[in-house]
Amino acid sequence: MLRYVLRRILLLPLVALGVTFLLFFLTQRLSPEMRASLYIKDPRQMGALEEVIQKYGLRDNVFKQYGRWLGSALQGDLGYSQSANMPVSQAIKEYLPATIQLAVVTIVLVVFFGVWFGTVSAVKKDKWQDVCARMISVGGFSLPIFVLGLLLLMFFYGQLGWFPPGGYSISTDVVIHSPAFHSYTGFLLIDALLNGNLAVFWDVLRHLILPAVTLCIGSFALMVRVMRSSMLEELGKDYVRTARAKGLPEGAVVYRHAGKNAIIPVITLASIQFIRLLGGTVIVETIFDYPGIGRFGVTAAQQLDIAGIMGFSLMVAVLFVLGNLLSDVLYTAVDPRIKISE
Amino acid sequence: MNACQDIVLSVEDLRVSFCNEEGKTEVLHGLSYQLPKGKVLAVVGESGCGKTVHALSLLKLLPPGGEITSGNVSYKGENIFALSAEELRKLRGSRISMIFQDPMTSLNPIRTIGSQLTETILAHKACSKLQATARAVRLLKKVGIENARKRLNEYPFQFSGGQRQRIMIAMALCLNPDVLIADEPTTALDVTIQAQILKLIKDLQRQSGMSAVFITHNLAIVADVADEVLVLYGGYCVEQAPVQTLFARPLHPYTQGLLHSLVSLKRKEEHLPAIEGYPPVPGSCLSGCPFAPRCPQATPKCREALPALQEKHGHKVRCWLVK
Repeated sequence: MLRYVLRRILLLPLVALGVTFLLFFLTQRLSPEMRASLYIKDPRQMGALEEVIQKYGLRDNVFKQYGRWLGSALQGDLGYSQSANMPVSQAIKEYLPATIQLAVVTIVLVVFFGVWFGTVSAVKKDKWQDVCARMISVGGFSLPIFVLGLLLLMFFYGQLGWFPPGGYSISTDVVIHSPAFHSYTGFLLIDALLNGNLAVFWDVLRHLILPAVTLCIGSFALMVRVMRSSMLEELGKDYVRTARAKGLPEGAVVYRHAGKNAIIPVITLASIQFIRLLGGTVIVETIFDYPGIGRFGVTAAQQLDIAGIMGFSLMVAVLFVLGNLLSDVLYTAVDPRIKISE
Repeated sequence: MNACQDIVLSVEDLRVSFCNEEGKTEVLHGLSYQLPKGKVLAVVGESGCGKTVHALSLLKLLPPGGEITSGNVSYKGENIFALSAEELRKLRGSRISMIFQDPMTSLNPIRTIGSQLTETILAHKACSKLQATARAVRLLKKVGIENARKRLNEYPFQFSGGQRQRIMIAMALCLNPDVLIADEPTTALDVTIQAQILKLIKDLQRQSGMSAVFITHNLAIVADVADEVLVLYGGYCVEQAPVQTLFARPLHPYTQGLLHSLVSLKRKEEHLPAIEGYPPVPGSCLSGCPFAPRCPQATPKCREALPALQEKHGHKVRCWLVK
């Protein structure tokens, strides 16, 4: 087990190398002039274009340029992001916690409600509970995320004023940047609790709810379906009949026996969804003006901020590998038959 | 069987149907029998004759689509079908237990056998987890699992087929039930293991004096374990008699055919005799004796009307040819 985890982690640099090189190679398809234009803010300075190209060696061989990027990346320097106006590593440090926070809240909601609705749907097959759950699931599939997001924003902020957009309110901004507020983890929800500041906690949570619900819906619909079919399959198995024949209460039959087996595909789905959320909450972050890493990635891509693009994709690749590793480890916790062998 | 003995399980006119898109199909057409204390009744028949369906319906464990359309099953005079869900739950596994055909799939693959054993005990008995574990260890030793305490923490996939069936037996017997329903408990095992498992069930049954319904298609097993035999064909009881009587003087042509197709060391034959044809598809035979299409002695009357189950000296048979 430990050896497996170590081996997978050792494989990580290889994945990162592959991903970043591929991306770097693609960005080289753009002419040096285009790549240099990012550094020129004013049309009157166009004459300096050649100077920039020379300074950064943009005409060099692709391997040489990649080598330069890699060399500084290995020393922890991912370059300066022109689009975010700060070093790439600082941008990641600043924006990633907010996205992780959003993704965790979302995935918790998805798993909790998905498993719950899916189980009820399977146990009450063809009854009204099942019909309702299936209708919600189809609805969730059909509703585009931007439509749902805007509708929720319109109603819960525009009409009711409950859940405002953005990452936090101005009052919170003042508090968290004051010297009295210690940033322990970078995750505002946790930091607020560690500082014992419930007002900040509530404010951050309030800003999280709408984007989380919006992100939830599609994954939730899928989760209900997977859990329902998995549960139905397990409920028809022989060991469930044995459990009933032993005289176990129906609750124990459904949850302790069938449920534990049915949850296995949910783990796969949840980890895929979680990784997807970390890199791809762009639309939602834009709609809700949420200060996450997805928006950083998109802005970097739009402005041809190559340092930003490289940093962002490196981060996504690392998260992807770690996320998959986590789901493998989770499997072994649930299913004893899966022994990670050497 | 003697009427003055205590009857623990009594089945009266049990009828079971299955629903599908084409409608309802009756697969068990009014089965009746009584099981006295300490006796073993073997229910014999080919695949699809309703053996397993009958076993499952005794404890209302039929799969979705299956429905008990009429009849009674009573345990010590109490109608099982009239019990509430909670009363039925208390009966299952403690007073009436079941062993299933396939030990490979009948245990939960991702829970330790210890937890599966102790939860059965805890579901019926007010005792501590420690006491339940101690009991589980004793039971495992009793059914011949070595190193029982250590093996409680292992999962089903770490046991062989025979061992898993031993665990199933331990699980079924952990609350000293009065009735054991064994649904082809040895079918999925290879022959040498079959004999061991059979001996184990037989020994445990005799020690504890419990009654058993033994469902099988294997007549050799019947001769070995049963006191009384009930032959099922196409969902009907076609013959029922004490085991010696049935083997010595089978009356129904189907039973005769079954016994004739047994391997004998005395006869020398090139081919094993078999009954021609196939058992009826459930729902297909609407009138007449279900065995008539395959019966070598069938008369036109057999194809027209279903014979009644008649009884003479405790030997029941459903055939027009028996007078």
